[in-house]
Order: sequence, then structure tokens, then C-alpha cells
Amino acid sequence: MTALLSSNIVQTVLFGAALLGAISGMLGAFAVLRQQSLLGDALSHAALPGVCLGFLVAGGRDLGSVLAGAFFTGALAALIMQLIVRRTTLKTDAALGIVLSVFFAVGVVALTYIQGQGGAASAGLMTFLFGQAAAILRSDLWIMGAGGLAALALVLALWKEFKLVSFDADFARAQGLPVTWIEGALTVMVAFAIVIGLQLVGVVLMVALLIAPAAAARQWTRALGSMVVLSAAFGATAGALGALISASARGLATGPVVVLIATAFVLISMLVAPRRGLIWQALAARAMRARISEGRVLTALQDLAKAHDDTAYKAERGMLNTALGAAPHAMRIQALERRGLIQQVTHPPETTPHWELTKAGHAEARALSGTRTDAGKDTP
Amino acid sequence: MRDDSLHEPQFALHVEDLTVTYGADPALWDIDLDIPPGVMAAIVGPNGSGKSTLLKTALGLVRPVAGHVRFLGRPVRQMRGQIGYVPQRHSVDWDFPTTARDVVEMGLYGKIGWFRRPNAADRARALDALRELGMQDYADRQISQLSGGQQQRVFIARALVQDAPILILDEPMAGVDAATEAVIIDLLHRLRAQGRTIIVVHHDLTTVQSYFDWLVMMNVRIIAQGPVAETYTPENLRATYGRQLAMIASGAATETGADTGTDTGTGTQK
Repeated sequence: MTALLSSNIVQTVLFGAALLGAISGMLGAFAVLRQQSLLGDALSHAALPGVCLGFLVAGGRDLGSVLAGAFFTGALAALIMQLIVRRTTLKTDAALGIVLSVFFAVGVVALTYIQGQGGAASAGLMTFLFGQAAAILRSDLWIMGAGGLAALALVLALWKEFKLVSFDADFARAQGLPVTWIEGALTVMVAFAIVIGLQLVGVVLMVALLIAPAAAARQWTRALGSMVVLSAAFGATAGALGALISASARGLATGPVVVLIATAFVLISMLVAPRRGLIWQALAARAMRARISEGRVLTALQDLAKAHDDTAYKAERGMLNTALGAAPHAMRIQALERRGLIQQVTHPPETTPHWELTKAGHAEARALSGTRTDAGKDTP
Repeated sequence: MRDDSLHEPQFALHVEDLTVTYGADPALWDIDLDIPPGVMAAIVGPNGSGKSTLLKTALGLVRPVAGHVRFLGRPVRQMRGQIGYVPQRHSVDWDFPTTARDVVEMGLYGKIGWFRRPNAADRARALDALRELGMQDYADRQISQLSGGQQQRVFIARALVQDAPILILDEPMAGVDAATEAVIIDLLHRLRAQGRTIIVVHHDLTTVQSYFDWLVMMNVRIIAQGPVAETYTPENLRATYGRQLAMIASGAATETGADTGTDTGTGTQK
């Protein structure tokens, strides 16, 4: 592992992947909250013809022109999507689908055309489909780093504007904020993240690096700030881990590995996150069910005591079951005993165990039957 | 060049010849509307009659194909910060990771200006606005954990914190419980007593007379407008709601051709 880390290429790839993950994680948080995840997908697929265009114009695999081409066709695709939504009756999802597939088809046709022409460099173009970490150069890191810093500066400077536009764009516009420009800035930054991610992750899977860290981060946080930070951290970790794994096992494409790790983060977060996680929610639901059935035992005992005009009325298990219409689990009875709300007593000459409400039990039962009436209260 | 000349400044809201189309069909057709300052006005009409579109167009969120809008004589872009807006509650994603207080602070973002963060005074004002709506205990609650009525109160607090002379609310009573409705109406009445103009898209005809003093009835075009006492008539109700209308409230109870069930339009607009 140390040998691996001391390699210059591996260092570059590792740093590049982590940087890309952090940038796309940060910007992806906004894309996800604005419910524009799929715009990222369309933009990244639409970048492919631009990659080919840049290749043809530059006459080789010059990164600058390739990325400029990707940015150009990505922007063109975004523009066409907006036109379709505005000028036709098609909805956004249909416009996205059409633009995504048409641009991608053009890209694949161009790609195969260039490869048919031959030339050693043209083989490298295939890596833009699924990404190839080893293709990252040390000089690329400077571009990514500078772009990342610029994006971070913009997010910090326009923090409250980005937040408001992501939450409620109409309200922002009614306040006089230039919402079109703010949304444009967010979209351009997402396009930027996609473009720098192309050679690492590839056009097909790039969107996952935008969505997955943000989706995972949302599970753990209660504020936009921590969500963006955590999303960037998840992205960086997924990028770094993916780069390491694919560097240590030859033949594993970096992009898909990074995406799989990011998706694993999502899966884990969906399951175990406090409050929002499925496991937490299942446990909470179980605890709630237990409380309800314990409450029913208490009120049944209370009813029986009332019916017999005896606060220390001792109920047999069969009596309880009949009053409730179903047998409460023994665990519930034990839990109530532990909570000090009922106690087990004997009631000679009968030999079976009996239960009666304690003082606390009476109070709890009264409270429960009291809250029953305002069940329609305005609580979530 | 900024045009400083005022046009119809005697009205809080003046709309003239306004037409808006979605596709080929007009959503609003030749709307002429004047709401005097200091009233609490209801805008009513059946679903799809363009009530929300009218508000959005007035606020500059929807571009009209013809006509103009003035608030106190000025175009809306010169009135930013002086018009509080409460959009429909369902227009946003309440799973957004933020707190009630934070949402209310958003009402101050326009005033705070670029590159600056809300300060302690802003935070205090947000809390005051929440208190006005009885929501101070929920300031640090996640908005996803609020009930519908509580979310609506947060939205109104966000407009309240702007301290605007004109307040525009889109269906604030839709899907809220009776307690919240009472809190909202009480607040709006107090704001009207301070001389503010309040314009509400409303769906419940039975409460028009008790809540409001000005009424606009529309169905793509304006049917009637004026003080509630003069405007809330069986003829106007029939013209606005057509055959959907049956018996409505007591004040207009001379309506006799009631052959369908009461439709107070509880569905949401859009």
C-alpha cells in the first residue's frame, strides 16, 4: 500500500479523484435540492459530442479543447431543453430524455467516426465513455483545483441567495433577486463539475457522482451547510477510495468503482441514519406500537377497576385478554411491570397470577384516556 | 432611464388590460382590477380561473402578453421589498434541510443585500415574526417535521418579517386546521388595522363575508369587484361559478336554483 501511495501517478489520480468528488459533492447538493439531478445526467451525456468536436478541432487529444467542446455542447443541450419546455407542450422530463439521447447518439456516432479514421490518439477517446483515472495528468490537477476553489468562493459569497433560490425560487424572484442569473450560475457550476469529471468517471456515470454524495448527506443532516460539507466529504472519500481500489487491482475502471462506492454510501445512509434511516424508522415504529399496546392494557385495567368500583381491582390474564379482544404479548405486561405501572399480585383462592394498576399506573391511564379525545390535534 | 411618474397611485394594486396565455388558451383575459389601499381583499373564483396566475403576474413572476400592473402607482420592480408574498404551501419541497427560523429569515434576504449574512438583529426579527403566529416554540424545528398548518404559519411569518405595506397571500387557508385559520385571520385583521393592504386568493366562499371587506370575483376574466357587501350577490356568484354553484352562504341565500351539491372549492389551485 505504501509503495502504491508513493507512486507519482497514483498520487495524482488519488488527489484528482478526491478533488473531483468534493467539487461534485458540493455542487450536487444544490442540484439534488433543486430537484435537478437529471439535468446533470443530460448535461454529461450531451458533453460527449463536444469531446469529439474538441478532438477534431484540436487534431488530437488536447485536454483544453476537449473540455471546451464538452462545455459548449453541454450548454447547447441545456439551452435546447429550455426552449423545448418553453415553446412546446412537452414537460421537463420528456425534454431531458430527448436531448440526452439525441446528443449522446451524436456523440457515439462522432466517436466511431473518429476511430474509423484511425490514428493512435483516437483510441483514447473511448475513455471518456467510462472514464480512466490514469489519464489524469499533474497539470490537470491545477485546473481542477483552481476551478474547485472558484466554485467554493462563489458558493460562500452567494450562500444565502443559493439557499433561497434552491428552496423557493418564486419567492426569491418576488423579492427582486435576479433568480435567472443565480440559477444560471448554479447550472454552469454543475456543468463545470461534469466537464472536469469526464475523463475520470466518464459521461455515462458522471451524474452518480453528483447525486449520490448529496443523497447520502441529506440523510444525516438538518441544515444546508452541513449537508453541503458532508456531501463534499462523501464525494471526496468515494473518489479517493475508488482511485485506490482501481489502482491496486489492474483492469478495474476507476469511474464505475467510484460510483459503486458512492452508491454504497447512499445505501448505508438510507439504512442507518438517525431519524431518516429505514432502520431507525422501523425501530421507532416498533417502539410506538409497543407503547400503544401497553397503553391499551392500562386503559383496560382502568375500565375494569371502574366497572368494579375498586381501584385495586385485580384482573386475571384471561379477563384482560377478553377486555382487549386480543392477548397482549407477555413482553408488554413485563414492560409495564418494569415501568412500575402495574404489579403482579395474588388473589386467593385463585392460583393464577393477577395484575392491578399501581398509583402511577392509574395516573398514566387517566392521562392516556384524556389525550384520546383530542386526537385530531394539529401535530405532525 | 427610470420613469418616476406615477400611474394610478391612489390604488394599492392597479391592473389594466392584463392578458396572460399558457399555450393557446388565455389564463387571464383582459383583466382590469383596482384594489384600494387599506382593505383586506379576497380573490375568488373556481379552480383554473387564473387566481394564482393573476397574483404571479402582478408580482412579475409570469410575463403577460399584454397589459400592465402598478402597486401604489409604481411597477413591481420598483416596489421590491414592499410587497410581502406568501406562495402556495405546496409550491416548495418541505424536506429541505432547514429550520422554521431559517425560512423566516429568508424574508429578509432581499434587504440584507449581497455577500452579507443575517445578523443577530435579523435573527431576532425572524423570531418576533414567528411569535406573532404563535410559532416561537418551533423556531429550531426542522420544517419537514411541521404540520401543514404550522408550515403555513412559517410561510406567513416569512412574509410578515418583510414589514411590507402590501401583503399578497395565495390560498393561505387551504388545508389548514381551524386553529391555524383563526390565528392567520386574526393576524391579517391586525395588519389591516395598521393600514396595510392585504390581498388573498381564497377558496372558501362561506367565510368571504366574515373575513374580508373587499371582493374580486373572477373566472379568467373579472366578473365583479368592489366592497363585499355590494359584490357578494347571487347574480355575481352565478356568473363566476356557473352551474357548479349551489347554495352558498347565508348573505346570498336568495339563490333558489340550487340543484347541485355545495362546492366551496376546497381543491388547490394550479
